[in-house]
Amino acid sequence: MSDLHPVSGSRRDPGAPGPLLRLLKMLWADKPATCAALFLLLVVLCAVFGPMLLDAVASKQNLRGRNAPPFDLSQPWVMWLGGDQLGRPLLARIVTAASNTMAIATGAVLASMTIGTALGLAAGWSRGRLGQAIPRLADVIMSFPSLLLAVIVLYMLEPSVGNIILVLAITRIPVYLRTARAEVLEVRERMFVQAAIVMGASVPRIVFRHILPVILPTLVTIATLDFAFVMLAESALSFLGIGIQPPEVTWGLMVAQGRPYLTTAWGLSFWPGLAIILTTLSLNLLSNWMRIALDPAQRWRLETGGKKNG
Amino acid sequence: MDMRIALLCGAAVSCLGLPAFAADTDVTIVLNEELETLEPCMASQSNIGRVLLQNISETMTELDPANGELMPRLATSWEETDDATWRFHLREGVAFSDGSAFDAEDVKHSIERTLSDQLTCEIGAKYFGGMTITPTVVDAHTIDISSDPAQPILPLLMSTLTIVPAEAPMEFTRDPVGTGPYELTEYNVGQDIILARRDGYWGDAPAVTKATYVFRSDDAVRAAMVQTGEADIAPLISQTDATNKATDFAYPNSETTYLRIDSNIPPLDDIRVRQALNMAVDREAFLGTLIPEDAQIATHMTVPSTLGADEDLAVPAYDPEGAKKLLEEAKADGVPVDTEILLLGRLGNFPNVTEVMEALQAMFADAGFNVKLQMVEVAEWIKYYSKPFAAGETPALVQAMHDNNRGDPVFSMYFKYACEGLQSGICDEELDADIAAATGTPGDGRAEAWRKAFARAHDLSADVFLFHMVGFSRVSERLDFTPTIATNSELQLSQIGFK
Amino acid sequence: MQRFLAKRAVSSAVSLILLVIAVFFLSRLTGDPTDLYLPVDASAEARENFRVLHGLDQPLIWQFLDYLRDLVRLDFGDSIRRARPALEVVTEAFAWTLQLALITMAIVSGAAITLGALAAFNLGGIFDRIATFFSLIGASAPDFWVAIVAITVFSVGLGWLPTSGTGTVWHWILPVSVLFIRPFGLILQVVRGSMITALGSPYVKTARAKGAGPRAVIFVHALRNAMLPVLTVIGDQAAALLNGAVVVETIFGFPGVGKLMIDSILQRDFSVVLAAIMVTAFAIFVMNILIDLAYAALDPRIRY
Repeated sequence: MSDLHPVSGSRRDPGAPGPLLRLLKMLWADKPATCAALFLLLVVLCAVFGPMLLDAVASKQNLRGRNAPPFDLSQPWVMWLGGDQLGRPLLARIVTAASNTMAIATGAVLASMTIGTALGLAAGWSRGRLGQAIPRLADVIMSFPSLLLAVIVLYMLEPSVGNIILVLAITRIPVYLRTARAEVLEVRERMFVQAAIVMGASVPRIVFRHILPVILPTLVTIATLDFAFVMLAESALSFLGIGIQPPEVTWGLMVAQGRPYLTTAWGLSFWPGLAIILTTLSLNLLSNWMRIALDPAQRWRLETGGKKNG
Repeated sequence: MDMRIALLCGAAVSCLGLPAFAADTDVTIVLNEELETLEPCMASQSNIGRVLLQNISETMTELDPANGELMPRLATSWEETDDATWRFHLREGVAFSDGSAFDAEDVKHSIERTLSDQLTCEIGAKYFGGMTITPTVVDAHTIDISSDPAQPILPLLMSTLTIVPAEAPMEFTRDPVGTGPYELTEYNVGQDIILARRDGYWGDAPAVTKATYVFRSDDAVRAAMVQTGEADIAPLISQTDATNKATDFAYPNSETTYLRIDSNIPPLDDIRVRQALNMAVDREAFLGTLIPEDAQIATHMTVPSTLGADEDLAVPAYDPEGAKKLLEEAKADGVPVDTEILLLGRLGNFPNVTEVMEALQAMFADAGFNVKLQMVEVAEWIKYYSKPFAAGETPALVQAMHDNNRGDPVFSMYFKYACEGLQSGICDEELDADIAAATGTPGDGRAEAWRKAFARAHDLSADVFLFHMVGFSRVSERLDFTPTIATNSELQLSQIGFK
Repeated sequence: MQRFLAKRAVSSAVSLILLVIAVFFLSRLTGDPTDLYLPVDASAEARENFRVLHGLDQPLIWQFLDYLRDLVRLDFGDSIRRARPALEVVTEAFAWTLQLALITMAIVSGAAITLGALAAFNLGGIFDRIATFFSLIGASAPDFWVAIVAITVFSVGLGWLPTSGTGTVWHWILPVSVLFIRPFGLILQVVRGSMITALGSPYVKTARAKGAGPRAVIFVHALRNAMLPVLTVIGDQAAALLNGAVVVETIFGFPGVGKLMIDSILQRDFSVVLAAIMVTAFAIFVMNILIDLAYAALDPRIRY
C-alpha cells in the first residue's frame, strides 16, 4: 500500500541525502524540467532581492526618454529591454515587480488550493448534509462575479497585496473544491479505500493518507496553470482600477499599462507578459515532471535516463 | 456538403460584399461605447449627443464652434424683453419626423420635460441647476422664457436644450422624435443604430443619406476599422494610434486638466506652498510624450475660446530649486510643509492619466514635497472631488478634467472657485465677488468681468493647471469632414461631405 | 435520479436566494449611483430628487423587501442607466454570451480531450512536447495580446476577416479563436495528466494484458476513468465564459453579459447586476447538475 503513496513515503525521512540526490538525478534526466527549476529559482531570487537592490533604479523617471526600444546594448544593462512609458528601465522594473507578483500569485493559489481541497475532501467524503451543502457553496462562489467581489472588498478596504490575495483566492476556490470532490466520489469506491475502511482506519487517516495523494497530481496541474490566471486576473483588476495601483508594481499592472502601446512600443507589455508565460511554463514543466517522479508506475521513465521516451 | 459550401460562400459574399451594396453616400461611425438610452434630454452625454444632437433633435440656438457666436436654429431671432425674460421667435414651416408641426407649445413642453423632477435629465441637471425657468406661450411661433435669477446668457443655455414634440411622454424614450434632418430607422441594441435622411426637413438636404453607428470599446479596434474600411469615422481614437496624417485629426476637445488644491487645509493654505506646487511641474516635458503635443498648457479653467479666457496669464516657470526655496521659507514661518499630501487621480479619466500622475508625483517629490499618489475609480474619486471632500483633514490635490464647451465661464467658475462651489478648494471673498459680478453682467462688459475673475484665481495659485486637452479622430479619406471642438459632444451628419 | 434532481432543485433554489440576498446587500455597500449618474455640478436638490425617484432614500431593508415583492412577480426592476427593464437588458446580452460559450466549449472540449489523450499516450515524445509547450503558452498569454495581434494580422494586414462585430459567420472566427486558447491549454493539461495516471493504473494494465489494442486502451478504458477531473475543469471554464468574456466582448464589440456586468457594477446599476447574476447563476447551476449527472453516468459506482 505504501508503494502506492510515495508522497507520504518520502516524507518519512526528509533529511536523508539519499532521496534528495535521487530526486535531483531524476530532475537532471528531464532537461526542460531542469531549465524550469533554474528559471523559477531566478524568479524567486528576483522576488526576494530585487526590490532591495534595484528599487531606486526602477523608479527613476525620464519622460523625454520614454518607450526606449529594447536591445540597445550601449545603455546600462537595466535598459537592455528598453524603457517604459515614463522612461524607467523595463528590466529593472520586471525584477522588482517579481516580488509583489509572486506574493500575490503564490498567496492566492496556495490559499484557494488549500481551502478548496479541504472543502472538496469533506464534500466528497460526507454522504450527509455537508456533502450537499458544500458544493452549493461552490455554486454560489462560481456565480458571484469576481469583479463585484473585488469592487466590494477593495472599495471598503484598501487595494493592498493582502486584500488582492483575498479576492483572488476566494474566486478560485470552486475549481479545487469541485475537482477534489469529484475525484473523492470516485476514489472512495476503490478497493484499497474500502479495504482501509474495513480494517478500521480513522477517517482523517483514510482521507489524508489514502485519498489525498491520489487526487493531488490533478490539483497541482490546475494550480500551476492557475498561476497564470491569477497574474492575469490581477492585471485585469489593475486595468479597471481596483487592483494594485502605482507606485506599487506587478507584472500584471505592467501588462495592463502597456496595453495602449501594443502597436507602437510592443516591449512595454510584451516583456512582463513573457515573464508571466515563462513562469507558468516553468511551473508546469516542473509539475509534469513531479507527476512522473512521484508516480511509482511512471518513475522508470526518469530513472532510465529519460532517453527511452514513450 | 454542397449545402455547406453554398452557405459558406453565401456568408462570404454577404460579408465581403457588404460595402459594395451600401450606397456611397452612407457612412458608418464607430463610437467608443454603446448608448445607454436614445433620450433627447440626455444628449449632453458625448455619445448620445453624437447620435442625436442636430441630427434628430435640434435646439433653439446653436453655438458656432469657430467663433463662439450664437446662431439661429429653431429660433430665428431673440431679444431681451426685461431683465429676466427673453422672447424667442420660432422658425415657421418646421415639422417633426412624426409629421406634427413645430410650434411654441413644443418648446414649452420640452423645457418643462427637461427640467421635470419626474425624469432625471442630464441637460436639466447640468445647465439649469439652481434656477427656475418659466416658459410662456405668446402665440404659435413666439415664446417668452423668464428665469429666476436672471440669466444674461439664456439664449446660450437654449443651445443645450433639445426640442421634442408636445406629445413626448414624461418617461425616457427609445424612439426619439425631432425636427432634425434624420430619423431613427433601426435600433439593434448592442449592435447598431441606423439613422436615415428624411424628407420634409426645413433646411437644406445633407449629403449623407444613411448613417450607421456601431460601438467598440477598444481604441485600437476603432482605429483599425476606419483603416480597413469597416467604418468611416471614429470620433475618438487614442493618441498612440493617431499615426496617419491623412486620416487622423487632432482637435481641441474643450477639456481642461488640473489639480484642485484643497487650500483650506495646512500646509496648502499657504500661498507659497501652492506656488511651489505650480513651480515643481515641468509641463513642457509632458507635451509630445504623455500628453499629445497639440495640447495647450493651461492657465485658465476653461479653453481659450471661452469668453474672457483669452488673456495671457503667465505659465508658472518650471523651477524645482525655486520651489524648494519657497518651501523652506514657509517652513521657517511654521507652515507644516512636511505633512504628507494626498495626490488623488481618477482612473481612465484621459489617456495616460496614471502615467501622468506618476510623473507628477515624482516631480513634486523632486521639489521637496511629501506626496502620496492614489488612483481610484470614478465612484470613489467623486467623493474627493465634490463637497464634502472625502479627504477630510488630509491635505489633498485632486486631479480632475473639466469640460466647458458652451463658450461661457459661468458653467465653470462658480462650481470651481466660489466659497459655496461644490468642487471649490478655495474660499476668497474677492474672488467670490468677481464671480458673482461676472455672472450677472450682460453684453460687452461680460468678457472683461470674467477676465478679472480668472486673473484673481491665477494670483491665488488656486490650482495646478495642466493642459487644455486634444482628442483624436480618424476620418476615412473618402469623406470631407474635419473634426472641431464640437466633435466631443456632437457629430452633425449634415457637415459631412464626400470627396 | 428523480429524487436526486428534486433535492438538487431545492438546494439550488436556496443557494440562489442566498446569492441574491448577499449580492443585494453587499453591492449596496459600495455606494449609490446618484453621484455617478448626475453631472458633478448637479445641485443637492437634484440629487435628493434622484434618490427619491429611484427609491434610494428608503432604508435598505425596505428597498430589499420592495425588490423581493417585485421579484415574486418576475419583475427584476428597471435599469437606472438604460431606463428599461433590467431582465430585458440582461437576456439580450446573455443570448450572445450563451452562444459564444456553447460554441467555444464544444470546440475546446473536443480538441483538448483528443489532443491531451494523444499527448499522454505519447508521453515524453515529440508530439507531447509540442502540444504541452503551445497549450501552456496559450493558456498563460494575456488574451488582449492575442486578440489585438490577431486583428492586426488577419483583419488589417491580410484583410481576411472583419475586425469586429457580429454580422456574419466570419465575425465569429476571431472571437471564438481567442476564447478557445486559454481553456484549451488548461483542459489539455488536465486530460494529459489524468491520462498518464490512468494509463499507469492496474486496471488499464489488465486491459492491456487481455490484449486490447492501444486505441481501445486509450479511448475506452483510460479516458473514461480520466474524465472526472476533466469534466470538472470543463465546467469551471464554461462557468467563466457564462459569466462573460469581458476582454473578447470589449475588443470585438460582442454585446455579451460580461461587459454589461462590469459596466453595471462600476455604475452601481444594481437592478442589472442582480438580474445578470441571477441569469448566469441559473445557467451555472443547471450546468453543475448536468455535470454531476455525468459523473454518475461515467462511473456507476458514484452515488449521491
